[in-house]
Amino acid sequence: MAARSLTRVLALLAVLFIVLGCSGGPGSPLWTPGSGTPAPFVTPPPTPTPEPTAPPAFPVTITDDEGTAVTILAAPQKIVSLTPATTETLFALGVGSRVVGKVEDIAKYPPEADSIPVVATFSGVDVEKIVSIGADLVVSGGTGLSQGPAVEQLRRANIPVVVSYPTTIDKAIAGFRLLGQAVGATDAGNKLADDTKAQLDALAASVANATSKPRLYYEIDATNGIFTPPAASIYGEMFTLAGAAPISGDPNYSISLEDLVAADPEVILLGDAAYGVTAADVAKRSGWGGMTAVKEGNIFPIDDILVTRPGPRLVDGLRALIEAIHPELVVVASPGPRQTGESAAP
Amino acid sequence: MTALASARAGFGGRSRLARRPIALAALGLVGLVVVVVAGVAAGSVAVPPGDTLAILAHRIFGLDLGATWTQAEETIVVDLRLPRVLTAMTVGAGLAVAGATFQGVLRNPLADPYVLGTASGAALGAAVAVIVPVRTVVLEFGLLHGLAFAGALGAVFLVYRLSRVGGHGQMTSLLLTGYAVGSLLAAGLAMAMYLSGTGLRQIFSYLLGGFEAASWIRFATALPLVLGASALILARARSLNGFLLGEEAAAHLGVDVRRERAILLGLASLATAAAVAVSGLIGFVGLVAPHVVRLAVGPNARLVLPLAALLGAILMVAADLTARLVGEIPVGVVTAVIGAPFFLALLRRTRAGYEL
Amino acid sequence: MTADDRPAARAAALRVERLTVAYRGRPALSDVDLHVAAGERLALVGPNGAGKSTLLRAIVGLVEPTVGTVELAGTRIDRLDRLAIARRIAVVPQLPQLPFATTVEEVVALGRLPHEHPIRGLRPADRAAIAGAIDRVGVGHLLGRDARELSLGERQLVLLALAVAQAAPILVLDEPTVHLDLRHQVEVMELLADLNARDGTTIIAVLHDVGLAAHFFPRIVVLDHGRLIADGPPEDALGEERIREVFGVDPALVRVPLPAPA
Repeated sequence: MAARSLTRVLALLAVLFIVLGCSGGPGSPLWTPGSGTPAPFVTPPPTPTPEPTAPPAFPVTITDDEGTAVTILAAPQKIVSLTPATTETLFALGVGSRVVGKVEDIAKYPPEADSIPVVATFSGVDVEKIVSIGADLVVSGGTGLSQGPAVEQLRRANIPVVVSYPTTIDKAIAGFRLLGQAVGATDAGNKLADDTKAQLDALAASVANATSKPRLYYEIDATNGIFTPPAASIYGEMFTLAGAAPISGDPNYSISLEDLVAADPEVILLGDAAYGVTAADVAKRSGWGGMTAVKEGNIFPIDDILVTRPGPRLVDGLRALIEAIHPELVVVASPGPRQTGESAAP
Repeated sequence: MTALASARAGFGGRSRLARRPIALAALGLVGLVVVVVAGVAAGSVAVPPGDTLAILAHRIFGLDLGATWTQAEETIVVDLRLPRVLTAMTVGAGLAVAGATFQGVLRNPLADPYVLGTASGAALGAAVAVIVPVRTVVLEFGLLHGLAFAGALGAVFLVYRLSRVGGHGQMTSLLLTGYAVGSLLAAGLAMAMYLSGTGLRQIFSYLLGGFEAASWIRFATALPLVLGASALILARARSLNGFLLGEEAAAHLGVDVRRERAILLGLASLATAAAVAVSGLIGFVGLVAPHVVRLAVGPNARLVLPLAALLGAILMVAADLTARLVGEIPVGVVTAVIGAPFFLALLRRTRAGYEL
Repeated sequence: MTADDRPAARAAALRVERLTVAYRGRPALSDVDLHVAAGERLALVGPNGAGKSTLLRAIVGLVEPTVGTVELAGTRIDRLDRLAIARRIAVVPQLPQLPFATTVEEVVALGRLPHEHPIRGLRPADRAAIAGAIDRVGVGHLLGRDARELSLGERQLVLLALAVAQAAPILVLDEPTVHLDLRHQVEVMELLADLNARDGTTIIAVLHDVGLAAHFFPRIVVLDHGRLIADGPPEDALGEERIREVFGVDPALVRVPLPAPA
């Protein structure tokens, strides 16, 4: 009887909740991601509905990586980049001078971006700052980088936000074109995309001559359980392009030592070299001594950022991978140092 | 002095201020206004206080105070800070009222709004929402909010049904079942977090709680739930007072124990669920605010409920402000840092406690 | 007592007929008949497990009869809601664990719960009743103290004041003298007699001290193994034979001619 009263009260209040939830509030337009059909998200002041076609380049409506259609009315002059890859791409597109805010970047690349004020860190986005500097375009990592609430708030403040969160190399390259369109550098975007694709293809072709496909273990972290990328990731694609047979982790990026030993890597790349892990450290680990890579001393440090950042330096990353995995090959483009990612711009 | 004269003079043993709850309420309201204005005026971007007030006056009352400000400043104050502060106020008040109610019904000063598994249920719901590859948004409420809300209520319902031994003596049973169910759900949460892969950070930021995602619509939806539940609880203050001496005594004093217990717990859970759906799991406010108020005005629910709501609102807004100014540390950390030592001090103060 | 309680008091205060209460097939009470007129004063005695507490619980409607009926002032108890019952019959509560600091006045004030306004709370008449009860029971010297810090005896008296403040025509006490010293035991007994004589309150007290019961109560009801064994004045209900067979002790009964209690 008491439970029935409880149920009745709860039901009544749940209905109340639903009714109130469906009632209007201070009007924010409904946001339905993944709807596919581009509909203007930002209601523009009295101007005609934008046509997403050929020049003139603005206004333009593009669909971002979360499927949201974003309308940009005019070429953005105050761009804020909330992912390090975007920062690099914007400079590669030649619009670095229009970037007025960036996210903190441990790699600090490119050096020209040093002077740009930081408006976001890994733990949060300073939405107020972005609003106050009058940003007219923000590129964000979206929910994938825990920037979901910030994206929402910025959009509610009528600032166009394009979410860039590519999960494959093709999407990263498509992102260059998208970004180019968004900032009014469509040609530069297409060129960057085409060049990157061409160079990646060339590099991949060069390993076609390799006689072997070494089993590769790529270490992200091994201080407390082993972390290595799954096959379905940009990492995984890069390893395959570099002519390796990657030993993949599960979708949580982990693998057990037993499985790793059973898989017997022939090459070990230390993505955690930046944190001070050396080949000697690996050789000393108990249970690791039996691996071919350890026995033959094929343990090399590598710049993790180069390998995984979905920006213009993917090419350098692939080159570094190939040099580490297939030292016997002569690399097609200009050789870069094995350990670091320093190289001239592509 | 006869008892009659003493009763007329007011209760002894508490401070002069405490004998005048109206004065306390007025003080609380003033405090609330101060802290709300501070919350809206402060942030990472400096908006001059004069401009802040002018913006508020203009948007709320349509007054023109002669100041000028930029569109950006107005956006920051009205669209970013104001809903955040108002949401914090609502959540703080709701958690405080819920905490006071749980403490009163369960007769346990250590009870907080999450004592019947609400927290674990909400967290598990949120984690499931993150893992499930479905994205729906209904008027700014995503799957996360919906499942967190449902999880919170579901957990309480489960605890209530499982602890039914029929009749009296159920409070201990409720608490223990709440603990057991909470632990079970926490295990489910751990599993979900393990399986979440890249969604882990999202789940984690939900667990820590915060008001970054506050918006006008979410505020407008949470407010009637919290306000309604709190008002309905206040209307039943008499029953809540009756529970003070135990379930049997309450029955002797005319309280329909089973019905009132179910209604009070249900309403308090509703307020809690609404709060955690909007802001994640923020602790200590629901535990500490009622105690502070009781120190001043005694255990009479008619006084404790509204004053605790006021204090809870003030505490939450202040905590959010602190979190923002220090640099986006989670609100839950601020409330814990302030609340835990305070609670320890409180425990040391109270002496007799549980002796018969 | 409030005006609306007076008519109820004139009828038979309590009527228990053929009451049987069984828990899981085992009878705690079997076929008990008890009629109590308004203004009576009776003590309920019996060994442990005789069913005294069960009878009390049935009288206040906390336990449903398996067979039989309970009537309060002419109305069957299953037709009354808890509030109505609380206005007709007050029970001195067991010593509770208080979760929060509660002053003596606040505890006694709880006795007005059945009468106070649901929203506004205590009204002047309620405050007067509280003050009156505190005076009557004699706990005025404890005002302002935290009830959790009182001695057991003091707490018992405060709870008695609570029941007095409730101002119901029937007052029920379950072992009210358990934690009291001799002086306080006598004081409570005399208070009950006073309430009975001056206010006409019907008193039903469960007592373990048979001697105390015999001295202060004109009517004794003896229960054993769930059955009503005897019901009448002490000299009839509590003879040597009866005490031997019910309590299992060999008593030496001493009848002391004392001035009759008020």
